[in-house]
Amino acid sequence: MAWSSTAEAEDARIARGLRKRDLELLTSLVERFQHRLVRYLVYLTGRQEYADDLAQETWIRVLQRGSTYNGRQRFDPWLFAIARNLTIDYLRQKGKAGQNTSLSNDGDAVLQLPSSGPSPFEAAARSEDAIRLADRLQVLPPLHREALLLRFQEDLSLHEIAKVVGAPVTTVSSRIYRGLAELRSAFEEE
Amino acid sequence: MDSDKKFRELIDRSFTGEISERERQIIHSHIRDCNDCKRYMELTARTIRGLREFAFATGESHIRLRDILAHHAGTMRQHNVQLKVRTAFALALSMSLVGSLFAWWLARFLAVQMHFGIAQAQAGVLVFWLLPSLCAALCTLVTPGENRGIA
Repeated sequence: MAWSSTAEAEDARIARGLRKRDLELLTSLVERFQHRLVRYLVYLTGRQEYADDLAQETWIRVLQRGSTYNGRQRFDPWLFAIARNLTIDYLRQKGKAGQNTSLSNDGDAVLQLPSSGPSPFEAAARSEDAIRLADRLQVLPPLHREALLLRFQEDLSLHEIAKVVGAPVTTVSSRIYRGLAELRSAFEEE
Repeated sequence: MDSDKKFRELIDRSFTGEISERERQIIHSHIRDCNDCKRYMELTARTIRGLREFAFATGESHIRLRDILAHHAGTMRQHNVQLKVRTAFALALSMSLVGSLFAWWLARFLAVQMHFGIAQAQAGVLVFWLLPSLCAALCTLVTPGENRGIA
């Protein structure tokens, strides 16, 4: 994806602000990215209630570790990577505490949560097609959901997605194709 | 069927931006004659469009989140000041001890040269060097951070 010089300057400005722990800048970032962050976390966990709490924790982490963002890459993939690591840590700890999540050393497996309560996808669907996809999204493996979101809603390149999820590009592509195949079947029955 | 499978893989790759312009043209000329692949492409495009038709509510209000972040920023700033104060105190204490050792050695040397009593020199170092420097080091702990320019 082309990264224009304006965007480059903007990311450098964000990096400078984060190093200084500039609260005004952080507030403007919250306004710009909060809905995308929550959406990413819903796709990752499949639960709205986790997404809100984890989004708040992510911003606190951004405040604490903002100096590690160098401004040479886009801010949004960096933000998603922080949210992802935080989510895996959180769910792993929750698993250790003996709750309903499966515990594994593999961060990816930790994301597999048993579904409970209303589907956040059903509540967020804004069209007939989205309603048809909502059920499939809820049961889709979280890693496939995540890859689909990052590619088709966040418009990240495969390389950027690979960096966020810490997996090879081929693995990312495969997750996208499998996810698409699962979702496409919602329309194939017509 | 194998050929269709290959074309479908190519169609999938076209949606992730992994194909060349030439491959794109190959797809387009193929779907003109192949209804199954054309439908496959339309359904994939429809699926991707459908994915963009979700709007998630953000539970936390931005104002509340800002307050939470402001609180954390304040706590971190305070923690930083405390850390700097402790570091400054440790540095001042070690400097006063090292300086006193040096002053003690110099006073003893001068006392021998000038025929003073060693006990007088000891008292002089204690009163005029060690005690004032210890007081100065302790001052770093009691003065508010803002007045030391390290807040």
